[in-house]
Amino acid sequence: MNLRYVFKELTHQKRRTIISILGLSIGIALFVILNALSLAYHEAARAPLKEVGADITVQRPGNVPQELVGAVFPCSAVTIGEEEIEDIKAIPGIRGMGKAVLLWIFDPNRAWIVLGIEQNNPVGPSILKNFITEGRYLETGKPEVLVEAAYARQFGIRLGDHVNVAGRSYPVVGLIDASHASKIAVANLYLPLAEAQAIAAASKNLQSVSPFAGEDVNLLFIRADQDRITTVAAAIKGILGEKATIATPESFLKLLGSLFALSDKFTLAASIIAMIIAILVAFKTMAGNVAERAREIGVMKAVGWTHRNVTMQLLAESVIQGFAAGVLGLLIAQAAAFALGFMTVNIPIPWEMSPTPHFLPGGGDPLFKTLRLPVHIPWSLAAFALLLSVIIGGLTGALLGRHISKIKPSEVLRHE
Amino acid sequence: MNNKSDILVGVDLTKTYGELAVVKGVSLAVRAGEFVSLVGKSGCGKTTLLSILSGLEHPTHGQAFLTGKEITGASEDELALFRRENVGFIFQSFNLIPTLSAWENVALPLFPIQMSEAERRRRATELLDQMELAHRLEHLPAALSGGEKQRVAIARALINNPKIVFADEPTGNLDTATGDAIMAILNQLHRRKGMTILMVTHEPELAKTADRVLHMQDGEMLS
Repeated sequence: MNLRYVFKELTHQKRRTIISILGLSIGIALFVILNALSLAYHEAARAPLKEVGADITVQRPGNVPQELVGAVFPCSAVTIGEEEIEDIKAIPGIRGMGKAVLLWIFDPNRAWIVLGIEQNNPVGPSILKNFITEGRYLETGKPEVLVEAAYARQFGIRLGDHVNVAGRSYPVVGLIDASHASKIAVANLYLPLAEAQAIAAASKNLQSVSPFAGEDVNLLFIRADQDRITTVAAAIKGILGEKATIATPESFLKLLGSLFALSDKFTLAASIIAMIIAILVAFKTMAGNVAERAREIGVMKAVGWTHRNVTMQLLAESVIQGFAAGVLGLLIAQAAAFALGFMTVNIPIPWEMSPTPHFLPGGGDPLFKTLRLPVHIPWSLAAFALLLSVIIGGLTGALLGRHISKIKPSEVLRHE
Repeated sequence: MNNKSDILVGVDLTKTYGELAVVKGVSLAVRAGEFVSLVGKSGCGKTTLLSILSGLEHPTHGQAFLTGKEITGASEDELALFRRENVGFIFQSFNLIPTLSAWENVALPLFPIQMSEAERRRRATELLDQMELAHRLEHLPAALSGGEKQRVAIARALINNPKIVFADEPTGNLDTATGDAIMAILNQLHRRKGMTILMVTHEPELAKTADRVLHMQDGEMLS
């Protein structure tokens, strides 16, 4: 192989080289961007759960009392017993768990959506501490509440006020604006988990349809090994029953409804089609180039180039074209990823995951988590695409080289 | 059968393509340092015979010996390596690589050999200088005249210090004056350096400049 000859050949046949590189680079760019989009949708689908520090949320649907008085559970989240929680904790692959109690509380003059949270557990709604607009976050062991800022404005609740919830009085220590937070388990009032558990346990109305003991909950947030999320979710269903609502990144991905989100198989199929087109374009242009050089290759063989010498020369040319196409493809894909990064994606949050009574203002409105599509090209994908491009170039060159180097010089060198 | 001074020997060489016999039982011998012309009308089989004798083509029947080695049974790669070390070619249509400069074309047979770029260039430059083309080293073939192209081709044929040069209609694509100049170079190579040359031509006048003239007709050797 002679590099001088390789570069002379590639630069002399500029048009053909450019078409060859461009054709392959477009295929590589398509391959990269399709996979980057797929990854972006996967990441976007993970966002609502990620924002509550979890990979899985767990709820169990059940009945609502006929009369909506006092504290009740929403129909999408009824009791998950302490023993069931212990069984879930023992599932292999679970790395952390957060608990919460979501209540609808119908007081004589006001309806509240109340969420009892573990203040300092990073798995679960403690992320809310980042959204305090006024006052402070909940302190451990204190019976106090945070009020959602818009709700507080609507009902004239101020910092330092006391609010009466299910017959108990709590000081308001902070206001929070959760509009930019995860839309999972949105509430008007946030208080310590123990307080919510006490309210639920004391509610006869709630107990009549969903018996609830002191350490029970109705919402679980679970962090799990990424490669075991599906098996963990299945195991939880095995404990809580098939009707349990288990939200995973995969379930959010399905809600997105995008072609990319629908199936990894689509991405794979589209990638393969893109690559096949790229290979055909590269093969056709390189084959045209090699065919045109039959006489030249005849000369090379006549003056002493062996079959291997010729093949290696053509291989070097195509590998360099493949490398150049890979680099160009990555640049095109990077530009496309930058442009696509301005797209926003609305991830629907199922009503069950943030239940609001339909008769309250905005209760039936669909909820979305809106975010910019996080399109980026991981190094691993870029390296794979570059390698793929070089391999395609190499295989094309080797194949054509093997074929063309078999020509007999005497057949192509006969004078006109 | 073979004389020790014979550098090239063909014995009962036959080449057929299907039913068509292009070379029919040709035997010949060329001595080292001899300039031999092979003359005949177009299509008489002289180029095919030259291809067989130079190891570019296998005969259907017969044997060819080059520098004492039988080449008729050798593989393609063995023949390529043999040509690299022993044979130089000059073609009618020059067959220069259009993307390579004059010196690179001359150095083409050296590309597969482990050798520094500087050494390749030095050897090519020296030959082009002998061909009075020192000022055309970096020119592409498209920028050279027909005579210049053929002189580059001659330099290429000599770069590996061949034991024999095969020239197939070396003046066929040139005007008379340029053709004469090319023949002068070949004669000079033969006389001054003792180069063995087997030249195929259909022009009897050119053939006369050689030491010996062989005539072919309808695939057979006449003399």
